[in-house]
Amino acid sequence: MHESLTTDILILGGGGAALCAALHAKRRGGPALTVTVAVKGLLAKSGCTRMVQGGYNAVLNPRDSLQRHFADTIKGGAFLNDQELAWMLVSRAPRMIAEMETRYGCFFDRNPDGTIHQKAFGGQSYDRTIHRGDLTGIEIMERLRDAVLGQDIRVLEDHRAVRLLRDRSGQRVCGALLLDMRRGTFTVARARAVLLATGGGPTMYKISSPSREKSMDGIAMAYEAGAVLMDMEMVQFHPSGIVVEGSELHGAVIEEGVRGAGGRLYNARGERFMERYDQARLERSMRDVVTRACYLEIMEGRGTPAGGVWLDASHLGKEFVEREFPGMVERTRAAGSDLATGRVEVSPAAHFIMGGVRIDERCRTSVEGLYAAGEDASGVQGGNRLGGNGVAESTVFGALAGDVLAEDVVGRAPAASEEGEVRRAIEEVTAPLGRDTGEDAYALLDRLRAMMWEKAGVVREAHALEEAIAELQDLEARAERVKVHGRPQANLEWMLWLNLRSLVVTSALVARSALARTESRASHYRADYPVQDDRSWLRHVEIRRGANGGLGGDGPVVATRPVRITRLRPDQVPAGAEWPGVPVTHDE
Amino acid sequence: MSGERIFRVARGGAGETARYQEYRVPEGDRVTVLDGLLHIHRYLDRTLAFRYNCRAMMCGTCGLRVNGTERLACSTRLSAVPGRTVIVEPLRHLPLIQDLMVDFEPFFDAWRQVKPAFVPARAPRESGQAPDESVRVPDEPARIAPDAPERQVIDRHRECISSAICYSACEVVSVSPEFLGPAAMTRALCLITDSRGGAREERLDLLNGERGCWRCHTHTTCSELCPKGLDPTAAIEQVKRILVRRSLLKLVGVYRPAASESSRT
Ligand SMILES: Cc1cc2nc3c(=O)[nH]c(=O)nc-3n(C[C@H](O)[C@H](O)[C@H](O)COP(=O)(O)OP(=O)(O)OC[C@H]3O[C@@H](n4cnc5c(N)ncnc54)[C@H](O)[C@@H]3O)c2cc1C
Repeated sequence: MHESLTTDILILGGGGAALCAALHAKRRGGPALTVTVAVKGLLAKSGCTRMVQGGYNAVLNPRDSLQRHFADTIKGGAFLNDQELAWMLVSRAPRMIAEMETRYGCFFDRNPDGTIHQKAFGGQSYDRTIHRGDLTGIEIMERLRDAVLGQDIRVLEDHRAVRLLRDRSGQRVCGALLLDMRRGTFTVARARAVLLATGGGPTMYKISSPSREKSMDGIAMAYEAGAVLMDMEMVQFHPSGIVVEGSELHGAVIEEGVRGAGGRLYNARGERFMERYDQARLERSMRDVVTRACYLEIMEGRGTPAGGVWLDASHLGKEFVEREFPGMVERTRAAGSDLATGRVEVSPAAHFIMGGVRIDERCRTSVEGLYAAGEDASGVQGGNRLGGNGVAESTVFGALAGDVLAEDVVGRAPAASEEGEVRRAIEEVTAPLGRDTGEDAYALLDRLRAMMWEKAGVVREAHALEEAIAELQDLEARAERVKVHGRPQANLEWMLWLNLRSLVVTSALVARSALARTESRASHYRADYPVQDDRSWLRHVEIRRGANGGLGGDGPVVATRPVRITRLRPDQVPAGAEWPGVPVTHDE
Repeated sequence: MSGERIFRVARGGAGETARYQEYRVPEGDRVTVLDGLLHIHRYLDRTLAFRYNCRAMMCGTCGLRVNGTERLACSTRLSAVPGRTVIVEPLRHLPLIQDLMVDFEPFFDAWRQVKPAFVPARAPRESGQAPDESVRVPDEPARIAPDAPERQVIDRHRECISSAICYSACEVVSVSPEFLGPAAMTRALCLITDSRGGAREERLDLLNGERGCWRCHTHTTCSELCPKGLDPTAAIEQVKRILVRRSLLKLVGVYRPAASESSRT
């Protein structure tokens, strides 16, 4: 019924976190250590690290400092970051840049004097974003892939993880069930340790930017395996996804560097509306502020007929825009507009999830044998991620996870999964292929996306969230009645259904966490609690699976936990650094 | 809006002869070939198989042939495809998995041959040896001016997204499947030009060998079709010039291997 393989370390994912983990594990563990990477697609080609446009935040200039990068990150995250994890991010990012240049051969853009060029990016107090043109992710992923090809690392392409497997005690993860997407067959991969690096991907919204195959699989699997998740209400919406009705390009983003360089936003009336939301920073304000501004303009009837606002960089000059943002210009031209010479229609698009699996400083989750890094993990970015901190997180924590895994598996005996669990999982996953009639996966996905956009999106309130939670229970039941056409081999509809399943579960976790957080903070905006409440809410919302599973009744268990504020307190924020957009209640 | 297009799509799995199936696809004025395939999959035929990830010209996985010419499905607007019928076929020279979905392995196998992994060149340059793992990697990224001669070469030839479009379009690969193909050799040129890198001689030997650059007949199809506007033909020509100079210098006995092409000059 299935094939089997055994490996010391199993890495799920093929993006920045996964590849850095594989390289570091192999480097640390040496030739005897076996490392297997299973990826839903092709190595280094799937995932969002590939899609990084703007660049990578790291302190290189002596006039900048780690403290500043840290403070920017914490302010951006509205003090919801785990400060130890955030410090690891900023303090290790410079080394990671050096590693990518000197060990993997990446080459980032240079200043005239030959040093690495760093540009401005939203929400930062210093120009510290390292880049390769406006397509930085390609440079990073192509070179990481080349490095992996030079190592003895086993790569299983088009192998999608569908379930984490636990040992008999149910307390330890000992592998994963993989679905070979080409042949439609299953493989049980036994491992001493498993790393989740599937890159989150909040694609449960009407408009979203991530790579199309991403569907929160890792977080959904971790939840099913009993891991504690954290900050799931913190979904980041990028302010500028392209609006192209009827095209898959819809939601592809115009990078924020365009605003950093002076690009302006106008509503349908031609007003430069950011003047009303953040007079000081205007379009260079933080991501969540700009997003909410665009969203409110659209919702209050000042948007374009297709539901967008205008991004205009043409005053910067055609030559400048073409030189600085060639990828973005190409993209808008493919979509029938032109960033270099005219305005482009944009809308907020779901972009990244700050929440995810709770990890400690060694990337360990709350379940033995299970680790997480990159977008699957939580804590690093707090309530909002600064542009440029995402790829830094995936590479820094991917590398760290690789080192830790190589150490942790030494002397750890492999455990066997339960054959019954494997059989049940395969039956569940193959069930829709056998049905004569049933629900339609596309229709359910549409429903899910419209509903989440409306009820658990940029602006939220209790009543709508409760409706969302109820509707998600219904969608969960209907998803189990989907019929998938055709054979198991190379079946895209089957993959779509599996995506739907992960998205429904994780949507419920987003909605429940959002309901629990009765304040507004960073990316999470509650119309019924519009104020940031530091007195009660310097806390994480944690969520994990209840005893009976399922989304209904007493399904997910919600709890809160104080944020670790070990380095920078809210009252230490320098004067004049208010959070624009959200009024703050100060502690006495 | 220009009404409706007929998609004639190659169907079938490994080892089967393709059969062509026709679908009617509405044409919006901003939609792409990828949008057409997604329309077919959703509304007309759930069994159609194809590959795509980023849908924004970065991942290089949605390559296929449109009316016989290699394209990325995501960046080919229907309005730019002439005629009413759009014939869609999988890339060539790569094993078929199903319908339009191919296995990239031969492309990456060729890529692997040129030792695509960067090898830092902190070794004594005189010996031309690549350093081993025990050599500490310099912590500081190298200082290299943006207008350094090596960067002029590399900047022109990097940013490959490994779409395999050139590999599919290459007539030499058709005749000699062992040919490394345009993308791998372009990667090799970047590596041997990079002053930070080593392993130059090994790569040059490879490029000089059976599978290497001398098989290129300068058809220039690769350069015409590269979705990123790269010019693999020019890269291969440059590799040939480097090799010619190398053998001339060897012939007169004055050749000194260098870590990289640019550290020679
Ligand atoms: C359009 C866009 C632009 C961005 N620009 C920037 C930027 O300029 N700067 C910045 O810092 N950040 C940016 N980000 C965010 C950044 O991309 C992410 O923070 C980061 O890349 C996440 O890395 P990762 O390794 O965790 O996941 P990814 O790189 O997304 O990789 C996830 C991998 O897991 C695979 N996978 C998924 N599910 C499964 C499964 N079930 N089994 C096996 N494999 C699976 C995927 O196919 C993929 O290979 C951007 C994001 C997007 C969407």
